[in-house]
Amino acid sequence: MSRLLTQIYLFEEIFAALQEAFPDAEFVVEDKPVDDTFLKLAPEKVRPVAELLIEKFDIYHLSTITGDDAGDGVRLLYHFWSSYGLTLDTLLPYDNLRIPTLTDLIPGAAFYEREIQEMLGVTFEGLATPGPMFLPDDWDGSFPLRRQRLQKSQ
Amino acid sequence: MKPRMLSSTPNPLATLTHRIVQWARRKSPWILHFNSGGCNGCDIELLDLLTPRYDVERLGILKEASPRHADILLCTGPVTRQSRDRLLRIYEQMPAPKWVVSMGSCSCSGGVFQGGHNILGGVDQVLPVDMYIFGCPCRPEAIIDGLVRLLEQIK
Amino acid sequence: MSKITVPIGPQHPLLKEPLAFSLTLEGEHVIESAMRLGYVHRGIERLSQERTYVQNVHLFERVCGICSHIHTTTYCQGVEALLGLEVPPRGLYLRALLCELERIHSHLLWLGVQARNIGFDTIFMYAWRDREIVLDIMEDLSGGRVSHAVNIIGGVRIDLTTEHRDVILRQLDTLEPQIETLLDVVENERSFQARTRNIGVLSLEQIRRYCVVGPVARASGLDMDLRRDAPTPPYDRLKFRVPVRYEGDAWARTMVRMLETVESVHLCRQILTTLPDGPTSVRAKRRVPPGEVVSRAEAPRGEVIYYIRSDGSDKPARVKVRTPTLTNLITLPDQLQNISMADVSVVLSGVDLCIACADR
Repeated sequence: MSRLLTQIYLFEEIFAALQEAFPDAEFVVEDKPVDDTFLKLAPEKVRPVAELLIEKFDIYHLSTITGDDAGDGVRLLYHFWSSYGLTLDTLLPYDNLRIPTLTDLIPGAAFYEREIQEMLGVTFEGLATPGPMFLPDDWDGSFPLRRQRLQKSQ
Repeated sequence: MKPRMLSSTPNPLATLTHRIVQWARRKSPWILHFNSGGCNGCDIELLDLLTPRYDVERLGILKEASPRHADILLCTGPVTRQSRDRLLRIYEQMPAPKWVVSMGSCSCSGGVFQGGHNILGGVDQVLPVDMYIFGCPCRPEAIIDGLVRLLEQIK
Repeated sequence: MSKITVPIGPQHPLLKEPLAFSLTLEGEHVIESAMRLGYVHRGIERLSQERTYVQNVHLFERVCGICSHIHTTTYCQGVEALLGLEVPPRGLYLRALLCELERIHSHLLWLGVQARNIGFDTIFMYAWRDREIVLDIMEDLSGGRVSHAVNIIGGVRIDLTTEHRDVILRQLDTLEPQIETLLDVVENERSFQARTRNIGVLSLEQIRRYCVVGPVARASGLDMDLRRDAPTPPYDRLKFRVPVRYEGDAWARTMVRMLETVESVHLCRQILTTLPDGPTSVRAKRRVPPGEVVSRAEAPRGEVIYYIRSDGSDKPARVKVRTPTLTNLITLPDQLQNISMADVSVVLSGVDLCIACADR
């Protein structure tokens, strides 16, 4: 019970800091099981919010980045953990699948971003990609986790 | 003087050597293990064979490191696209006569991963298999049984 | 000095699984390394979208053979949260019992492989012989040595009588002194220490930047263990210590894993002696209402996280799995920097690679 109260209290602090730092941005908060809070935001806000979380609140542990073909775009979920889960939820439209990389802030994000690049076709600007990671060398260029397997050229 | 020709009657020394080598192959097969994409369940059951409870070394079976030293190739896991060429290359590097044993459901048929975008199927899609050992994962007793039955066929 | 490139894998005596490394050496020291994953990529996340929730329990069990139970535990925990189910306490205790038994079996397996890689075959034989006791316990409980199929959505499918419980407690009594002997060897044996001390050192700063998890992180001073930090029943009622060391080398990782094994034996005893009565599972519906869940658990190698999204049918819309080995692999180039070729085997096994987990 005491952990739940700390969680609520700390999240209120984070939310207040976010509204202060980005007064014109829109944040939608939703609690999800098990022990997680989703924060919906625009793609260009992901990097500045991550910077704030790391510098001000010492939330540096990025568990993983999930890529999901949601039907109206590719949804990216950045799952952070700091005694409870905090997920940044953003949606990239199909005609602009680009977002800046987080690897200069969190080097551990490299493998997760490379996987999404390979499986879903999202381009992470500034990410070093020395070659295919999971897919074989003779892969035909389609993206396995997309609803329709679009060709690389598109 | 009549020239000596290679006749059809076998040279007794060659037959004896041949029989010794056949006996050694049957009594002490050296195995090579290659995991072409499996979950490790069958691999750890295979390593269990070397440990004190099952101890296959008393049967003469040694796990070798190089394909050039091995008689039997034990394959685990379904064949993924990336590991197909490596599997073929290992098979080619083994000296004849050689046998291939397919261990575990995945290596026999693809197992639970059938239909995956990176899966070609079982090992028999790529190599000629001499013995199939089923199980998910196959028990050490089943592996020993399979190997012994294979050795009985080598005569 | 001229440079040579040495390839390791995909078939190599050091590696149990296919993984390709390419090491560039100058003399005896490694100056550059490159890694290629993807040999074990079975596309499990894609396959899971074409199977029902119940079939997926069996699919996710085969992500990795060594830590199969924790994968199904995390998956079932997530789906039960989506369904709004409350698993009965007895079911949760039995799940945790198998989690701890699996942790013991995984660490003993790892100790044997690590010992083999440094040339200490005796420890390999002793550790795997002791591991057989744990496999016997798991087989008596579930019917399988390596793949248990114990978890169902809604609880567990096994149960325990009092006599069976006493048998397991006696088997744990046989196991404990043997683990203490192995711990003593790791801690005090000079040849073991000579090959593992100061190899593959990672500082706390590197651990934080790479978001490393599990015993590798705890060996460098990061005190993070999801069993204590995000306790799901029964871990909120059990007493255990989380071993943390500060040296950050391969020896510290060995010590952390052996101390965790000792703690897991104590945890198994606590679970068995405080097992509550009641049913072990509840019925689950086939169709899962729309929603999403993030489920985490502490596998033997670290934090495993599942994200599941459901759209109202009986098949999941998206399941994302991130296993701890994928996170720990990113530290390998740093660890392999400037070490001698003879120490490469120690570094590779110190991270406790499970490429099947990483590639999925």
